[in-house]
Amino acid sequence: MIRLIGLQPTYMPGQTIEFEYRVANIDRGSIVAVECSVCWVTEGKGTEDLGVHFFQRLAGDSLAAIDWSIAQKIACPLPISPVSYEGKLLKISWCVRVRFFLGDGTELMAQQPFYLGMLTREV
Amino acid sequence: MKTKWKARLRLWGKKRGGRMSGWWFIGSLGEALFFAIVFLIGVFLSAILISWQLMSQSTQPLKVGYGFWLFLGVCLSFAVLGIVGFWYRVLKVVTSDEHREVIGKRGIIPEPLSGSHPMKKPTPVPSIPDVRRFTDSPGARLAYRLPSQIPENGALVALGIFAMAWSAMIAVFVVMAADAYLRSSVPWQLVFLLIPGIYVAIRSARLFFRSFIRTLGIGSTTVEIEDLPLIPGREYRLEVVQYGRLVIKKIAVRLECQEESTYHFGTDLRTERQTVFSQEIASHGRDRIDWGYPLRLECSFCVPEDAMHSFQSKHNAIHWKIVVDGEANRWPSYSRSFPVVVYPSSRLSQAIVAS
Repeated sequence: MIRLIGLQPTYMPGQTIEFEYRVANIDRGSIVAVECSVCWVTEGKGTEDLGVHFFQRLAGDSLAAIDWSIAQKIACPLPISPVSYEGKLLKISWCVRVRFFLGDGTELMAQQPFYLGMLTREV
Repeated sequence: MKTKWKARLRLWGKKRGGRMSGWWFIGSLGEALFFAIVFLIGVFLSAILISWQLMSQSTQPLKVGYGFWLFLGVCLSFAVLGIVGFWYRVLKVVTSDEHREVIGKRGIIPEPLSGSHPMKKPTPVPSIPDVRRFTDSPGARLAYRLPSQIPENGALVALGIFAMAWSAMIAVFVVMAADAYLRSSVPWQLVFLLIPGIYVAIRSARLFFRSFIRTLGIGSTTVEIEDLPLIPGREYRLEVVQYGRLVIKKIAVRLECQEESTYHFGTDLRTERQTVFSQEIASHGRDRIDWGYPLRLECSFCVPEDAMHSFQSKHNAIHWKIVVDGEANRWPSYSRSFPVVVYPSSRLSQAIVAS
């Protein structure tokens, strides 16, 4: 489960995004790695592009030190661009994405979209 | 269970857009194995070649010459192709999309919070084309002369190269045919081959010179701008100069925003463009232009306050440009583009400062 603090759907460029995530209903010992990222993706007619603004991978000792009973908090300043956009051929969407890699090869992914800037349409 | 395995082992999976209907694991494993085998073949052959040539003094099956280096180059290219392809496929399987992207270019990787909120400086305008490419040419009247983007120039160069190469090849064959004719043996096969060849050479040369004369006759267009990058909401002065020797029926200057998407369609790579904003910022009616007396158009324009900034990623882009459209007597109409860079609006910049 990912939760954006304050449930704010829109952030201004340069503002700090704060969010927390926690894992439930999974054997904590089976978690091999956790990846958390703040990224933008393009959608639409063209091939999908991905831009990672923030990336954090926890594995090994750093993962073992985590107390999963409390939510993991992360804050990160957002960039100036690209702002969220909904055009005719392409759409730029921002999201917070968390991936859990389990010991049996299973990969769990959850993401929470948000807007960067105030633009939603072409021009 | 049977149908499941049948589906997994199917060789020819029907392709539905970007999705795979086959089992991705078999595909990825097959690709990795293929490149691993290519790498091993490359290394094996290189080793054999070097050991035979350099280690064995008694038997020297290959002399060190062009053949040796060519063969060695092919073997090494197999090895390089194999190792790059293998690791690319392996990384594609063992890492997530985000992880690969970060490996590709190291981004901001802040540490998780531990009570405090460390504020890092945001990266300056990511995903926006570098403005230095547009500001390296100073203008005569205004600050910068914009680089032109004329697709016809590329076509003209390509046509010129083709016409030259084709004519040179035909000339060689004509000399061979003439030589044979002088020795009283007419090479009829070559003559029949030359007839369409000469026709193509004449047509391509004619097409090239027509395009060249058209480019020369219409003359060049230059655009100078007061400042770059453009900030939405601000006003900028612009000067368009049309050179040449012609009678202009109409010339119009537009500010355009265009979305561009590149995608795979089967095995083709296609690019689609769509203009999402177009605004005429200046126009001029009938006028005569002569050598030394170019047409000068001065105007000012403003990028809309809520406009999207320029954007560039691997397969998608948002381009802003100044477009000059002209119609002239005795010449075909023309359109010339001058790309500009638009940054996020000042309203967003203020928000950045406020935050």
